Amino acid sequence: MSNMKRSMRRVFWLLALCFFLLLGYLCKLTFVDRGEISGNAYNSRLRYVDETIKRGDILDREGEILATSTLQSDGTYSREYPRARMAAHITGYSSVGKTGVEAAENFELMKLHNELFQRINGIIRGTELQGNSVALTVDMDIQSMAGDLLGSAKGAIVVMEPSTGRILALQAYPDFNPNSVEAQWDTLKDHADSPLVNRATQGLYPPGSTFKTVTALAGMEYLSNWQDFTIECTGEREFEGKVIHCFNNAVHGTVDMKGALASSCNCYFAALAEKIGPGNLAKTMRQVGMDTPSHFELETSPNSIYLEKGATESELVETAIGQGRTGVTPLYMAMLASAIANDGMMMQPYIVDHVVYPDGTEAKHTVPEKLMDICSAEEAAILKDMMTEVVTSGTGTAAAVSGVTVAGKTGTAENATGYDHSWFIGFAPVEDPKVAVAVLIENSNYGRATPIAGKMIRAALTELGE
Amino acid sequence: MFDLIIMLSRYLFIFYIVLFLWQGIVYIAYEQGGFLGSPYTAVSMQRRIVILMHITAFLILGYNRETHLFDIPTLIFGAIAFLFLLMAVKLLDRFYYEGCPLIWTGMLFLMDLSLIVLQRVEPSLAHRQLMWMCVGLAGMLFLPFFFRMIPRFEIFEWAYIIVCYGLLICTRFFGVAKGGSTNWLSFGPEAFKITFQPSEIAKFLFVFYLASVFRKRVEWKQFLTTAILSAGLVLLLVLQKDLGSALIFFMTYMVMLYIATSNEFLFLLGMGAASVAATGAYKLFSHVRVRVAAWQNPWADIDAGGYQIVSSLFAITTWGLFGSGLTKGMPKSIPVVESDMIFAAICEEFGVIFGAGVIGIFIMILYRGVRIALDCSRRYYSILAAGVTTMISFQAFVILGGVIKLIPLTGVTLPFVSYGGSSVLVSLMMIGLLQWVCVYCEQHSQQDQEQPRAMEMQMGGGRYE
Repeated sequence: MSNMKRSMRRVFWLLALCFFLLLGYLCKLTFVDRGEISGNAYNSRLRYVDETIKRGDILDREGEILATSTLQSDGTYSREYPRARMAAHITGYSSVGKTGVEAAENFELMKLHNELFQRINGIIRGTELQGNSVALTVDMDIQSMAGDLLGSAKGAIVVMEPSTGRILALQAYPDFNPNSVEAQWDTLKDHADSPLVNRATQGLYPPGSTFKTVTALAGMEYLSNWQDFTIECTGEREFEGKVIHCFNNAVHGTVDMKGALASSCNCYFAALAEKIGPGNLAKTMRQVGMDTPSHFELETSPNSIYLEKGATESELVETAIGQGRTGVTPLYMAMLASAIANDGMMMQPYIVDHVVYPDGTEAKHTVPEKLMDICSAEEAAILKDMMTEVVTSGTGTAAAVSGVTVAGKTGTAENATGYDHSWFIGFAPVEDPKVAVAVLIENSNYGRATPIAGKMIRAALTELGE
Repeated sequence: MFDLIIMLSRYLFIFYIVLFLWQGIVYIAYEQGGFLGSPYTAVSMQRRIVILMHITAFLILGYNRETHLFDIPTLIFGAIAFLFLLMAVKLLDRFYYEGCPLIWTGMLFLMDLSLIVLQRVEPSLAHRQLMWMCVGLAGMLFLPFFFRMIPRFEIFEWAYIIVCYGLLICTRFFGVAKGGSTNWLSFGPEAFKITFQPSEIAKFLFVFYLASVFRKRVEWKQFLTTAILSAGLVLLLVLQKDLGSALIFFMTYMVMLYIATSNEFLFLLGMGAASVAATGAYKLFSHVRVRVAAWQNPWADIDAGGYQIVSSLFAITTWGLFGSGLTKGMPKSIPVVESDMIFAAICEEFGVIFGAGVIGIFIMILYRGVRIALDCSRRYYSILAAGVTTMISFQAFVILGGVIKLIPLTGVTLPFVSYGGSSVLVSLMMIGLLQWVCVYCEQHSQQDQEQPRAMEMQMGGGRYE
């Protein structure tokens, strides 16, 4: 009998342990995973709206109002966007559903700080119930500059601070006017140019030659004598089932990695990839975070990468020079440029800086967070040096800014359905990078992104007081 | 104004459940020889809390914020449910004079919570649920007479297992599919159709069967027959895609075997065999793989397989510790919120602290159940009580763990809380059985008057009101 009682006690502890596991896991859900889970775009609660609450404002980093609510005569609130199109893809809209920061921070914008006090005050003195405001990392001066530079060219510009991951500007065209989304919904929704799609975070483009920075990193990693690896470029090179041409069939002669990156020699990087092998190149692509989900506040498409260990040689060489099936977002390319600028450390990009309570106090400051190390500091330094060469004497001279050393990489992504896409990624000043940019112009002439990036960098550095 | 009340009510509900659990601790502490307060007051406090919670919740649910009037049908239903609670307290006191009061209050709390949440998501289900509760209560009151009439009901061991198999096998021929498993039976004409889950009733019989066999010394023969027969039942359930029940049957068997034999080796061996069997089932059955995949990464397939668990996680995490406030959340967006996923709705509107409190109440019932099994001097009843307690607790664990994604989600009901006739009936009968064992043992243990027992006797005579 006493044996049985002992067993029963043990069974009790076993079952109790099960329940304590439940409690522990419930705590983990609420204290650790809460933000990530509840922020998921599928969560219908994020679109929860309480008509009686005045939605908070969205502010830029200097306090300029990007979105605000005003009380109308009929007692309902209307949402206004003073900068209209200029920040449309950032603020998003809050009428026919929600997008952008309006969706991502819906909860914060609807949340009543000191709820008890506000509600009692509302009953007694009839004051408005005011939601919290959200301050962004975006600088509207840089953002407007980006908008002007983009003009009416389809494409995207992302400006980022390499050391923190703060987004200083994020511009995409075609855009829309968030003040009139509801009125123009039918036109906007089915428009052939898809103006509602944020090309900076949701557009997937082949990276073109900007991908050579990744192939170069793979070379440093997996080819022990990469410094001695040179080829004789004749303008074209034959691989199994694929002939690779350099751009405009240019002949680059004997090139090493530095020279090849500066002149954007396709033959060199295709040959380099052949040496490295598809498995290793794919490993490097993962190592630089191409398949890492970004958890960015705005809706973001994951990059599409196809290269695998057993890939054919033609797929390998195409991927190595940024053609083929790889698709990346401009946001990711800005992250890549930032990581190279930041000694190989890729930061988590973020656009919401802090929350402002109705009484003006700031809270919930976003702390910059490291996403991953994409390469060693030495490799980053070598790559920086090579990318500087691109701007000083290579294909990227149009991005040069007087008085500042700029590093970068140009790219032209072949487009099966029309003109090529033009890319530029870069950062400056090389000695102590303050900004990183990624510029993408759809269906444009060769190199169109490069001077835009140069102007963008200059404007951003001026604005930041460099 | 109403928003302010709802906002404050969130804290009130948490206050209720915390106080409720604290009173449970006060009672247990007294029993263990400590003193945190009077146990009589503790129990009557718990009862009052249930009543207060009921009133608070129904006043909120009954208020119509458009017309600023109270919704009469809701209030009437609230009043009927209120009477039911009062009646239950009186009748249980009378029919189970020496039953454990903490189990009663815990059970009432959960049942009341069930009515509140169902009224919130789908009032017609709340009405049916209350009807089932009345039936269950009546059955429970009848139980002591039934047991008294057949004092040696342990001799029917073979009958139990045969009926058990019969119930599970008949769903293979007459069963209707519901929620992905073919484990429901349907009766009566179309308009008054009653569907029930035979596996729920089989649970009850299964515990009886095992207790009857294990009441004697367990030799190899008994071990092998029970092992084979139980494995057969579990296999049947897996084939019917009722994985949750399969898990509960298995765990109940292991625990009861362990209690009867005190053999750790057998227990670990059984667990090992189960792991092998689970791997086999994973390889063999696609429906098992689907469940596991939805658990490992529900985010990969939100639109289809992962939808249930993801909606539940959204409900639990969005509003945080204090919840959205009753009527303020979106529990209707959770699939099968009225039965399997009801805990997600509780966490959403009452908050995670309240949800943790509900788990606390299950721990309290578990503790009291084991206490009854420990204090019982007759082996048969002791094993029976332990089996019933294990079954209820483990069932709660399986579904709670599934809803919060601790373990793969399998469709079983949360005892006392989930909507479902057979579930409510069987849960109530199980508690009735447990309490009857408690009463029986109290009455038959006057000879060994140890310290805690003597106190319990006195307490049985106290008035809790």
